Amino acid sequence: MENLVFAYPFVLWGLLLLPLAGWWLFARDKKTRPELHYADSGFVPVLKKSLRQRLYPLLHVCRLLALALMIVALARPQAKSKSSSKNIEGVDIVMAMDISGSMLAEDFSPNRLEASKQLAEDFIRARENDRIAIVAFSGEAYTQCPLTIDHGILENRIKQLKSGLIPDGTALGDGLAVSINRIRQSKAKSKVIILLTDGVNNAGSIDPLTASDLAKTYGIRVYTIGVGTKGLAPYPYRTPFGIQYQNVKVEIDENLLSGIAQETGGTYFRATSKNKLKEIFDEIDKLEKTEIEVLSYEHRSEEYKPFLLAALLLLLIELAGRLFIFKTMP
Amino acid sequence: METSELLRKVRKIEIKTKALSRQIFSGQYHSAFKGRGMAFSEVREYQYGDDIRFIDWNVTARFHKPYVKVFEEERELTVMLLIDVSASGLFGSAAQKRETICEIAAILAFSAAQNNDKVGAVFFSSEVEKYIPPQKGRTHLLRIIREMLDFEPVHAGTDISAALRFLRNVQKRKSTAFLLSDFMDSHYEEAVKIACKAHELIAIHVFDPLEKTLPDWGLLRIRDNESGKSFMIDSSASGNRKAFEEYRKDEDRRRNAIMAKYGITHVSLCTGEDYVKPLINMFSKL
Repeated sequence: MENLVFAYPFVLWGLLLLPLAGWWLFARDKKTRPELHYADSGFVPVLKKSLRQRLYPLLHVCRLLALALMIVALARPQAKSKSSSKNIEGVDIVMAMDISGSMLAEDFSPNRLEASKQLAEDFIRARENDRIAIVAFSGEAYTQCPLTIDHGILENRIKQLKSGLIPDGTALGDGLAVSINRIRQSKAKSKVIILLTDGVNNAGSIDPLTASDLAKTYGIRVYTIGVGTKGLAPYPYRTPFGIQYQNVKVEIDENLLSGIAQETGGTYFRATSKNKLKEIFDEIDKLEKTEIEVLSYEHRSEEYKPFLLAALLLLLIELAGRLFIFKTMP
Repeated sequence: METSELLRKVRKIEIKTKALSRQIFSGQYHSAFKGRGMAFSEVREYQYGDDIRFIDWNVTARFHKPYVKVFEEERELTVMLLIDVSASGLFGSAAQKRETICEIAAILAFSAAQNNDKVGAVFFSSEVEKYIPPQKGRTHLLRIIREMLDFEPVHAGTDISAALRFLRNVQKRKSTAFLLSDFMDSHYEEAVKIACKAHELIAIHVFDPLEKTLPDWGLLRIRDNESGKSFMIDSSASGNRKAFEEYRKDEDRRRNAIMAKYGITHVSLCTGEDYVKPLINMFSKL
């Protein structure tokens, strides 16, 4: 009720007639009502004004209020609610995240996986109107979250990602295929997969190129992101004396990734630092900025009923008062 | 009022009141005013049955036989009807006060006519509205009745003093004046005091039962006929009904006190009730 608007606000000018109606009711009342023609009136000062007599003008007030409420009802009060239906067709995005052991390399702070997760969250948060799915892959590929508009769930799901959930390895082809499977039936205008990895395809049963052919067939754009500095990256491993670091050479199959991107109409990015990765996400964000026609439906429900009911109630009260409590003669 | 209707009404009142006055009143009325205005005419020999009070002892002593004085009634009495035609008379539950006043006035007029009295009328409201000089005769009587029925007063209020002052001015000789009113006036004591010295004043007060008690009718809108003002009163509040009755009783007490103070014969008649008996009672008291 707080978002009360009037469809015919000009009718509310009718409220200005209320003083006139009030004057008419109060002043004309004496003239229009029948009176007992009595012989004298010398006794009137002797009589006390009873409570009932004092409250008698309330009948007019009731009627005036009812009139006011009816005028308000006539102005078509409507409750506005914007949130009731939001039918926005945006972009469907699948985030395919590599969670293999190599993602724990600490060339990004705190490590590659955490940095990717954090930036992915920001990305998701920024794309309010898109449906997003999350696929996690390493040795195998699993859907972490199907396409959904519920960004709260998505952020939660991303937080839950950690290395070691799935047998180690980098099944690029599987990850891509699972992502395609998630998105292929989508009716969105634009279908996008963001494939984030830091290695070379060394596991899985589907060839990445086959998967990219599939993506092309379904009209899905694949953005590929290679994560990892150039050269060596510190990689932690557990020893009986605590965590030790070992510098491991970063290997990213850039040819494959850029090939997939080119074939499907996407772009290949190389993230060498966290800042770079952020820029990449921003760029993808920009590239996938579709001109969405935001069909914001303003739902308005007619709210005249409570007003009319109140008016009716007041009129009934007035009538009952006239008939029973404030009965007048003649 | 249509002429034919008026005539019919006059006729009706004539028949009704004439019968009443002939059957019941004349004797009463006659005796009521006997002994006043009697002039000595002669003496004659006492006969069995004569009142011994009227024996003329001088003549008796001279003739050694009882003689009585014979008086002749001086039947040139004038009856004045002071009729209140104020707007307050246009109220009544069973019958309007004005109608009741008219009927009583008609009875009095016929009674007077039967006694060969002259009858005059003064219609008054807050001023004297009309004056019909006293005359004899049936046509005159019928004229008074017609005027009573047909009269449309110009003013609404009541001023008894004005009527009594007017009576004193136009009627120099002593007359019997009937003051027929609802006495909805407050300052008439002085005028009554003066008028009752010059005339035989008889006050006939007409009231309605609804003026004595306030019925339990809820909120009541009333309009004062005389002032034209409107009021709303709560007739259901018991305090109000009591106060109203008290107010009326107080009014009655004040009126009765004035009448008693100046020795004026007066009677209160209720509309819609039989007014013959109270009138007879009153006349028998005279």
